[in-house]
Amino acid sequence: MKQLKRYAIILVLFGLIALFSALSPYFFTQQNLTNIFVQQSYVIIAAVGLSFVMISGGMDLSIGYQISAVGVTTAALVKWAGLPFPTSLAIGMAMGVFLGAFNGWASITLKVHTLIVTLGTMTIFQGLSYIISRQSVILNLPPAFKFFGQGFLFDFLPFSVVLMAVSVGIGSFILNFTWVGRQIYGVGSNEEAARLSGVNVKAIRMLVFSICGFFVALSAIVLFGRSGSASSSTGPGVEFTAMTAAILGGVSFKGGEGKMWGLVTGVLILGVLSNGMQLVGLNTYVQYIVKGFVLLLAVGFDLLQKEGLAKGALRVSAKQAA
Amino acid sequence: MGETVLSLEGITKVYPGVVALKDFSLDFRQGEVHAILGENGAGKSTLIKIVAGAVEPNAGFIKIGDQSFARLSPQQARSLGIEVIYQEFNLMPSLSAAENICYGQKTGRFASQRAMERKAKALFDEFEVAIDPRALVRNLPASQQQIVEIAKAVSRSARILIMDEPTAPLSIAEVEHLFKLIRKFRELGTTIIYISHRIDELFAISDRVTVMRDGRFVATRETESTTRPELINLMVGRELKEAYPERTRAPGETVLELRGVTGNGDSDISFELRSGEILGLAGLVGAGRTELAKVIVGAARLESGRMLIDGRPVSIRSPREALSHGIGLIPENRKEEGCFLEMDIGWNISFASLRNISIGPIVGRKKEKALATGYRDLMRIKAPTLEQKVKLLSGGNQQKVVLSKTLAAKSRILIFDEPTRGIDVGTRQDIYRLMDDLTREGISILMISSDMEELLGMSDRIVVIAEGRVAGTLEREGFSQRAVLELASGGSYKETA
Ligand SMILES: Nc1ncnc2c1ncn2[C@@H]1O[C@H](COP(=O)(O)OP(=O)(O)OP(=O)(O)O)[C@@H](O)[C@H]1O
Ligand SMILES: [Mg+2]
Repeated sequence: MKQLKRYAIILVLFGLIALFSALSPYFFTQQNLTNIFVQQSYVIIAAVGLSFVMISGGMDLSIGYQISAVGVTTAALVKWAGLPFPTSLAIGMAMGVFLGAFNGWASITLKVHTLIVTLGTMTIFQGLSYIISRQSVILNLPPAFKFFGQGFLFDFLPFSVVLMAVSVGIGSFILNFTWVGRQIYGVGSNEEAARLSGVNVKAIRMLVFSICGFFVALSAIVLFGRSGSASSSTGPGVEFTAMTAAILGGVSFKGGEGKMWGLVTGVLILGVLSNGMQLVGLNTYVQYIVKGFVLLLAVGFDLLQKEGLAKGALRVSAKQAA
Repeated sequence: MGETVLSLEGITKVYPGVVALKDFSLDFRQGEVHAILGENGAGKSTLIKIVAGAVEPNAGFIKIGDQSFARLSPQQARSLGIEVIYQEFNLMPSLSAAENICYGQKTGRFASQRAMERKAKALFDEFEVAIDPRALVRNLPASQQQIVEIAKAVSRSARILIMDEPTAPLSIAEVEHLFKLIRKFRELGTTIIYISHRIDELFAISDRVTVMRDGRFVATRETESTTRPELINLMVGRELKEAYPERTRAPGETVLELRGVTGNGDSDISFELRSGEILGLAGLVGAGRTELAKVIVGAARLESGRMLIDGRPVSIRSPREALSHGIGLIPENRKEEGCFLEMDIGWNISFASLRNISIGPIVGRKKEKALATGYRDLMRIKAPTLEQKVKLLSGGNQQKVVLSKTLAAKSRILIFDEPTRGIDVGTRQDIYRLMDDLTREGISILMISSDMEELLGMSDRIVVIAEGRVAGTLEREGFSQRAVLELASGGSYKETA
């Protein structure tokens, strides 16, 4: 039963790949497939962060502007303050963790749902980002910065894809194998039961937001590195892509549910869709509509699967019982 | 005895890996109280869910009057006059008690708030329980929620009233009120289907008892002409000796001492718990026992007073700190506070002891599996695999998972809040033996229980709480139902029936 549900979303991905391969000769080429991965790597990295928050039962709407703020800060430190790139990078990453922790702290202190808290902090981070960038575009980022978005390891492995794979690996490891990961699922699944079982719920909340901030900051470096310049308008919107991907991949809105592989598949579905539609020549707005429908379909399909399977399994075991 | 109002014919219900009901047939007569008895997971709740239209059977018929159905919808069931008090609460937590009771009833287009509250108040008065009709249900303790649940069902005129373990969180005083109500309904010709694991209740209230085992019909007996041992034998399919363990060992040093503990509605509570002792906490619904447990484990604020562990004052501000002081709690409300319904059995059992089975940050899968298997066997958790989600288990089996989770954490002081709620007699014996073994190892148990037999049978001493204060302490020699109830009700208790 679980197995089949797992297939559902992977089948959708393969179906889309088959469809676009048939529609465009340029789709199923190594060049293009690599492109999809490179284009989506920053979304996946951010989605890894978001999944920690979502699995613990929360939501983070502010990640788009976190990306923006971290990106322009790092760029400003390199280009305007003249700091060496590694130092700027370290400060940028620390800033990401700090912004995440701020979200965690605010939601603990205010005791309101994280959706609302991050709706507020989203605006704060937006302001922060525009103040730091002085509403200008910081051009010509140094090569080391660009390497995160454009570089290759051993001349063939895109560095951003490597970072993505490592992020997914670390994320899966924490969530699936450690006791902290268990506690994160526990808080998302039943907060009160987790608290009475001795989980420090506040600490978990701080932790998931900090982890989220870390991955989001990494995502920012990759994204800004790829574009080679920094502006405050880069980043916003990622929160919805990442959220859509997470839901496509089976991360529940209510928390306590979701796996990394599903998330990656979700992002790839969205990536394949926009890349394929581009190649086929659909315009951007038609693409939006299609993406929206895919999300609705995926959710509906998932529900149908659950019900249909339950009935199927019933028939099977009824036969066995008889 | 009246004519048949409801008959089940060859009902079968299969879940993946479990046959919950197999070719089950039974007739219910008008104006009878028909009890259903069976071990945890025997299929009792599934049976009544089918009658109520909440679950669709795979085969068989439900005959009501002269109509025959292959399945019912909840609306149909209700319009046929079937009302159910489910084992798991079915209330709307964000509505008030009064609103819950009147929910979905035709009280005119605009239900007047005042009228609803009056109606609710009248029903609560029958139970002699002071529940504020305006209180939000989510803020009520489990026992009061249960009374709201009962009031909701009885306030609608039903032809068939089904009660799935209505008394599990109630104490004997409220149970008597419930029985009075049931008798009143029986007079009016209502058929009552009554499920409970407290066998003495069946003798007090039922006309006939049907025993089921592993989803099958075993036997129906006239209550008058059967005995407790016979019912138990039918139910478990083997000889079962019911006895409380002999409590001989003298308790040791004081391990936990409360001095004037005030908070969460309780005031000035003082008592001590000794090593290897089972201390019973008795009281009526709403007396403040669960509230006290919450204060002890730091889940609610201690306003004043002191707590000492091994003679040293401690400050416990969260359940995590309580655990690090060696205090574990088995909460009263398994669904809300005890288990993780969406997670599997093994995951749940290991949750409170993750660090003990981890190597560094990594959870040891082998140790986890061993732990879970151990407790499944010890508690006889009935499930196809350890990977079964807890939400798919029967109520009693969920309770066993919650017990296992807390026990696995190996605390020295255990607070059991209604530990055997919803657990069948066979497993109860196992749990009693286990509690005895634990105390022999020097572990101390504070047991909150509304089950009078259990309280008198298992406790070494009983502290009675009434209206948030200690009303008295009973030593083993002074144990009697009467003594407990007199203290619990502030001396106003009169023996009835
Ligand atoms: N939705 C479900 N999916 C799978 N199995 C289920 C489901 N509901 C019930 N079961 C299984 O069916 C069996 C009968 O369950 P049921 O709840 O009827 O037991 P019960 O007699 O009411 O037990 P208890 O005394 O513990 O309340 C159990 O083994 C239970 O695990
Ligand atoms: Mg049941």
